[in-house]
Amino acid sequence: MTTHQTSATHETHMIQDIKISSQHLDFYYSDFHALHDITMDFYVNQATALIGPSGCGKSTFLRCINRMNDLIPGTRVEGALVLDGSNIYDPGVDVVELRRSVGMVFQKPNPFPKTIFENVAYGLRVNGVTDKEYIAERVEESLKLSALWTEVKDRLHQSALGLSGGQQQRLCIARALAVEPEVLLMDEPASALDPIATQKIEELIHELKKQFTIVIVTHSMQQAARVSDRTAFFYMGKLIEVGQTDKVFTRPEQKQTEDYITGRFG
Amino acid sequence: MQFHLEEELNQLKLKALSMAANTEQIIRKSIRAYEKRDEFLAEQVIDSDAEINKQEVEIDEMSLRLLALEGPVASDLRFILGTTRISVDLERIADEAVNMAERSMLLSSRPVLPFREEVVDMAEKALAMFKEAVRAYASGDAELALSVCKMDSDVDMLNHKNVRNIIEHMIKETPAIERSVHTIILVRRIERIADLATNIAESVVFMVRGVNIKHQSFFDTRN
Repeated sequence: MTTHQTSATHETHMIQDIKISSQHLDFYYSDFHALHDITMDFYVNQATALIGPSGCGKSTFLRCINRMNDLIPGTRVEGALVLDGSNIYDPGVDVVELRRSVGMVFQKPNPFPKTIFENVAYGLRVNGVTDKEYIAERVEESLKLSALWTEVKDRLHQSALGLSGGQQQRLCIARALAVEPEVLLMDEPASALDPIATQKIEELIHELKKQFTIVIVTHSMQQAARVSDRTAFFYMGKLIEVGQTDKVFTRPEQKQTEDYITGRFG
Repeated sequence: MQFHLEEELNQLKLKALSMAANTEQIIRKSIRAYEKRDEFLAEQVIDSDAEINKQEVEIDEMSLRLLALEGPVASDLRFILGTTRISVDLERIADEAVNMAERSMLLSSRPVLPFREEVVDMAEKALAMFKEAVRAYASGDAELALSVCKMDSDVDMLNHKNVRNIIEHMIKETPAIERSVHTIILVRRIERIADLATNIAESVVFMVRGVNIKHQSFFDTRN
């Protein structure tokens, strides 16, 4: 059986499990070299946490995975980011289609000033779906997947802005899920939430990874330890270490990783 | 600047080293009590066990608090886990020393058996292992800890030799059966102290290197 070795650690995985492969990826904001030679893989049905101090490049890297950085003038990418065998930076790639299959959830919940139903249906409508029955099915399924359905099923046509912060964040997750993505990128999805709402999001990540490949940026070491299968530590734009989360948090290979996760950094 | 958790971990280490110092003293006294047939010293050993039990509970409480409040990871987590394991081993070693002291009290009023020097020699070797294991813990020295693990086979050999000699003596001298049985039990306690010192050394290797070397043959066959 074919195997593949990652460069940052000596882990061995089956090659067919790889969903996304970052290959010698460099990223520049004009002259600023923000990411250096990032090579790592993301596996199907696993949650991978990206950790590191502010400015280390983890969010920049996350945004490379669905080409969100394209929206920033003067940015440049070298190397390859391969999704299901194809480089997403190849000319001719449909970026709208890419962002449909690689959904994203942001730090602060950002529902549209529309009803709960319309928030979730939004992605389908902009993709040209008009079948009302299908849209209603997708809305219900997405709200169930994001563990929000029982809380909102009787007020689907009320404003989404009336939901609590935690509910709004799960609504944003439902909105991302409605267009049936395969990968879900989460940029500090619980940092603006209280502990109960955070716990719900974390439980949700455990459920969602059964169907999706998840990449999560978090500043919370404990959250990374709780929700992810693999953890990657970034520092000054470099990938210092990536490996199974239980190993990274009990026996990291690199001293910089150890210093960071034990709070002895700097 | 020393950060808060580091200070807490130092306190935990000091507490464990204090417990180890008390345990070392209790082993030393139990050996002397047997060697010198000193009932007073044996009583002192029995009395000092309570303090060691108390220290074990304190280490448990400190470790539990650090795990709950500080969310330690990596080397910090291994240190706390390792120290908790070591405190359990220290408490058991103290129990073995108390058991030795109880046997010594029974033996001290009866005629001396041969092989006493050999038994004391074995006990000194077990004590040396214990001291080196504690030194490895204090300095975080995995190499020293591994050398302690290797010393255990010497004590095992002395154990077999002593037990065999005492059984042979017992067969020839039937009036000495009761004394011989007590001495065999005492020798077994010494052998257990050496085993527990090995456990401490294994915990040090785990703390320093993050690898579990306990039951190595099991892992060898599993991998």
